[in-house]
Amino acid sequence: MEQHNDFGSTSAEREQLFIALYKKAFPAVARHVSKMGGSFDEAKDVFQDALVIYYEKMVNNSVTLNTNEQAYLLGISKNLWAKKFREDSHYTALDALTGDCSFVEDDARPSPAKILNYLETAGQKCMEILKAFYYDNLPVNVIAGLFGYSGIRSATVQKYKCMEKVRETIKEKSLAYEDFVE
Amino acid sequence: MRTSLNEIKLIDEHLFKSGSPEDGLLFDALLILNPMLKNDIVWQKKTHQVVRQYGRKKLKSEIEAVHQQLFHEPKHRSFRQRILSFFSKSG
Repeated sequence: MEQHNDFGSTSAEREQLFIALYKKAFPAVARHVSKMGGSFDEAKDVFQDALVIYYEKMVNNSVTLNTNEQAYLLGISKNLWAKKFREDSHYTALDALTGDCSFVEDDARPSPAKILNYLETAGQKCMEILKAFYYDNLPVNVIAGLFGYSGIRSATVQKYKCMEKVRETIKEKSLAYEDFVE
Repeated sequence: MRTSLNEIKLIDEHLFKSGSPEDGLLFDALLILNPMLKNDIVWQKKTHQVVRQYGRKKLKSEIEAVHQQLFHEPKHRSFRQRILSFFSKSG
């Protein structure tokens, strides 16, 4: 995976960026949604989903830095709003829009919410490490610093150890929650 | 790294299509020698899905915290008023 993340590596850095994006792009989105007869909460929902999509595209290098972020966020928000308006189901909007990603399809069927809740308490450290590597797509040297590892190598080994641990937990829990999983 | 960790690395490279052609051949050979590896691929894919859900959940809560700041802290009053004016009945 390409290592690239301009949103910063800590939640404090991301906070500053999200405040800036909110100020730049939310007014146009709110105006659009209100013109279309939507409420403040609906504008908030589509904008927040648009921010998530924008973040995921940014950290995976699918959006170049030259892209006008305000126009981009307005574009995604308009799309999400149109979709919501057509389908009247705003909770599926985000997943539907990113449906081209290979990880959305489901092979096994564990109870995702239950497993996630379990991992959030029992395996939080590993989940944070895996999130930093795979979701936030941070460079390994930054991750080593954030989590206090001596170097790139030990951070990388830890990534795979966590993958092994969490994978086993998901497997066990899935088999426990469902009678049969393919 | 231990063998099992190396396998995890190879599965990742297979899933993300990021390995070298040689690694790809090695992976194909491993698949023939160890049919259980297929199972591991399925669970590792599932794990990536769960990590993504976890990441999204955390990101959404960070975004919501920013929203709360902007719509409650006094220093963002003019921004707040501008947004809310779009939704006022008279506006």
